[in-house]
Amino acid sequence: MTGPLVRTAPTGEDATRRAALIALFIGIAAIAAGYAAAFSRLGTPVWAAWLLALGIPIALGAIMVLGAARGRRGIGQLKVPFAFVVVVLVIGFGAALALPATEGPLSTLWLGLPARAAIVIYGVGLLPIVVLPIAYALTFETQTLSAKDVERVRALARENQAAAENATREPKDNQHPR
Amino acid sequence: MIRMVNVSALLQVALPNAARPAVVAVGIIYFAVVLGISVWAARRTRTAADFFVAGKGIGLVALSVASVSVSVSGFAFIGGPGFIYAVGLGAMYIVLPAAVTNVMGAWVLAKRMRLLGEARALITIPDAIGARYRSRGAQGLSAVAILVGIVGYMATNALAMGVVINSIFGVGLGWGIWIGMGVTLAYSASGGILAGIYNDVFQGTLMAVASVLVFLFVLKFGGGLGEISRTILAHDPTFLGPWGKLTPLAALSFFFVFSMGSLGQPQAVHKYYMLRDPLQLKWYPLLKTLGLVLVLLLYFGVGVGVKAFVLSGRLAPLASPDQATPALLLNVTPIILAALVFSGVAAATMSAANSFINIGAAIVTHDLPVAFGRRVKNELRWGRAVTVLIAIAAAITAQRSGTMVAFLGIFGWGLFASTLVPALAVGLNWQGATRAGAIASIATGLMVTLALETAAYRKVFTFPAGVTASAVAMVSSFLVFFIVSWLTRRTAQAEIDPDVKLVMEL
Repeated sequence: MTGPLVRTAPTGEDATRRAALIALFIGIAAIAAGYAAAFSRLGTPVWAAWLLALGIPIALGAIMVLGAARGRRGIGQLKVPFAFVVVVLVIGFGAALALPATEGPLSTLWLGLPARAAIVIYGVGLLPIVVLPIAYALTFETQTLSAKDVERVRALARENQAAAENATREPKDNQHPR
Repeated sequence: MIRMVNVSALLQVALPNAARPAVVAVGIIYFAVVLGISVWAARRTRTAADFFVAGKGIGLVALSVASVSVSVSGFAFIGGPGFIYAVGLGAMYIVLPAAVTNVMGAWVLAKRMRLLGEARALITIPDAIGARYRSRGAQGLSAVAILVGIVGYMATNALAMGVVINSIFGVGLGWGIWIGMGVTLAYSASGGILAGIYNDVFQGTLMAVASVLVFLFVLKFGGGLGEISRTILAHDPTFLGPWGKLTPLAALSFFFVFSMGSLGQPQAVHKYYMLRDPLQLKWYPLLKTLGLVLVLLLYFGVGVGVKAFVLSGRLAPLASPDQATPALLLNVTPIILAALVFSGVAAATMSAANSFINIGAAIVTHDLPVAFGRRVKNELRWGRAVTVLIAIAAAITAQRSGTMVAFLGIFGWGLFASTLVPALAVGLNWQGATRAGAIASIATGLMVTLALETAAYRKVFTFPAGVTASAVAMVSSFLVFFIVSWLTRRTAQAEIDPDVKLVMEL
């Protein structure tokens, strides 16, 4: 796991993190290309916004996978909520870009908003709330942190502290032999 | 999450004089509670760890509410609704990322930051960067970047405080600044982050209550969201389009900067160190996200509601979009609701100022000396002294040109995002990241942000519609981080200490 381009055969862990890093790089590169296109003398091309609409969900999904990936388990059951949220964001932004602007006094309202606005406000802004924090809590012990994990870190910290104290004590003992 | 635009919007608001008996009374009660909490916290602050990270002893609910409080500034109450009033639903792309940012932060940063605190007794964000890359240079450079951002934020928050306090008590802008900074300083210097956290809990609760009440009032007054939408669609259908009056690129840019950029905001990330038990992180994203949704209801409700009320003639046309909240509060809602919201705005600016003062003091007394291989002997005493100096410097700067101060505040969010997100958020999750990559990325974020923002401020250069300096700086910083880490990848594994490696692998 020395980087996205290591040449050794990836383990399960490496494969998940490597895929996440590559996806993150692609997402950021797509966003960069979208911004670069905006500097065109002919004005911002239509596809520049599409690059951001795809690049942002990919980058956000990738960095969440990178953070959640754990040992050989990778992201385990979290692949479902992560995929759901990336798809929701892509569909939300994509629908806002692709659907015709038909808002008017006779528009059908969805929970009080015209269709395209409802997709963005309720889809992009609220649906992930229903899924992600719940998924985080339900998988917390198996995927994020257990009491055993915390104890491992604390044990290592105690060892390091003891070693550091010994290291500072020894020179003094040498200077002042009994 | 919405500080980048906060001050420029809040500063340009000449808030109307709201000094009515009820508003003044609620304002006095608010300040009395803040001072009471501060006295209590000061008695419990005995060490530098108490002062900078509350002795790692904050419970889940308190931390969640406090984190909401520092994540939302006065912009959510004043400038934000005005922004919606001006450009329609496109302004929502600043707050929509809240649906993912908290849980994203939990997966990417919270566990590793909290465990690093456990393993190394770390107390600052540059501490974590220094430990991750075993590099005093990376620690020092990230400290400088944060300090530069804090200078701007502090001045703008001081000025915002002055604007709000002047509106509540009618004491004049200059006195408003000194009163606001004086109260904030009193609890920052005496009780450190402990006073800050418990004041944030009070302030966050106040903000949530005010926001929910105003939202419900707007819905009732407007006959429900459907009626409000119908009124707007009859006059200005673009307002309720998915991008409002912004271009798609501009709206999506907001979403990118405020989602990915949230991983580099020190006032929120720093809080991860403070949780008493790391296992309590389980419910942290859910609680914080729900809290944020409540606080942001006013942002949406007032912005859309006032637009409908003005279009239907129930409210007089606004002198400027930023008057949306004050006009609604002082002309339509019961005065007690106005009193709560004005105190809520004061709370938002003070909690932000306190948090930045504390982080700035930790950088000056802890990170910068460590970067030069030194240690300050009494970090608590020096922390208090530096806290006083930062507050005074911020208040003096805030008395200067409003335009200059607004400029300082605008780049804060982007600067934190571009300098910290790759090195910290990606670096703590990728063992292939290198010290050289981190330093190059932080330096790129710092230089690109300062250069582009200064060029834009001096009107040397104009970005195409939808492109912002913050976004360009963050993308550049990411790409530099990846490329330099890849070029120097042979050193990657050797730069990670075993305990840090364990934290990264868990």
